[in-house]
Amino acid sequence: MSYNYIELISLVLLAIGCFFILSGSLGLIKLPDVFSRIHAAGLIDTLGSGFIVLALIIYSGFSLLSLKLLLIPLFLIFTSPVTGHAIALFAHESGYKPKGKNKK
Amino acid sequence: MAKLNKDSLKTLSFITYFIILFVFWFILSGYLKSLLLFFGLVSVLFVFWMSYRAKALEEDSLPLKIILRLPFYWIWLFKEIFKSGITTTALIWNGKYSPQLISVKASQKNRTGIANYANAITLTPGTVTIEVDKKTFLVHALSKKLSEDLQTDDMNKVITDLDK
Repeated sequence: MSYNYIELISLVLLAIGCFFILSGSLGLIKLPDVFSRIHAAGLIDTLGSGFIVLALIIYSGFSLLSLKLLLIPLFLIFTSPVTGHAIALFAHESGYKPKGKNKK
Repeated sequence: MAKLNKDSLKTLSFITYFIILFVFWFILSGYLKSLLLFFGLVSVLFVFWMSYRAKALEEDSLPLKIILRLPFYWIWLFKEIFKSGITTTALIWNGKYSPQLISVKASQKNRTGIANYANAITLTPGTVTIEVDKKTFLVHALSKKLSEDLQTDDMNKVITDLDK
């Protein structure tokens, strides 16, 4: 068993990314209403995808491919808040009230 | 850069936009043959003409001043995303969330700055901008700590300084 350092680093980063995606999916089921669930989806969009792309860049080595991979989080930075905001605004406009402190 | 008049600033922003488009084409294709580079040039010119026709090249939508500060801002933004991401993950796992609505004031001067601030709030996990009403945002936060972090106004100051 002899691991390459680069493989080890990208493995750890992949595991962190997977953990954030798991937490986000758990939040999507567990949290009480639409507004709170958007937070969980945002967690997947930013940290989950960010760490996985970072791991892939380190794994593949620096080339034109890693520049292409860098474009993915760059586009997510612009598109993910727009979708989150659109869902939240529509829920707000149609009179949906966010739930307060009491669970369930 | 502040001494340039309006027309030359506009030309400069056109040139920057053209360069960005061509670099983008090159990253996606990776070809170096002259014929294919020529085809790339044609398609870039087509996109340029389309965005000129759609009036997407106004001063407000392509702010040259902030383009050099943008990478530093992104690094700072990633740090913020990471911090509040950890908080949100902990909240999801231990179930101690208490969702609340707050209103946040924005001090940016132009429309791009305000959109930038609203996007940054939504991008950090745990806070979502619901409604933008000129200079106040209605923000939904997942817990009290996250909303207090937002009300310290740090993020507002950084994004206002970006556009100086």
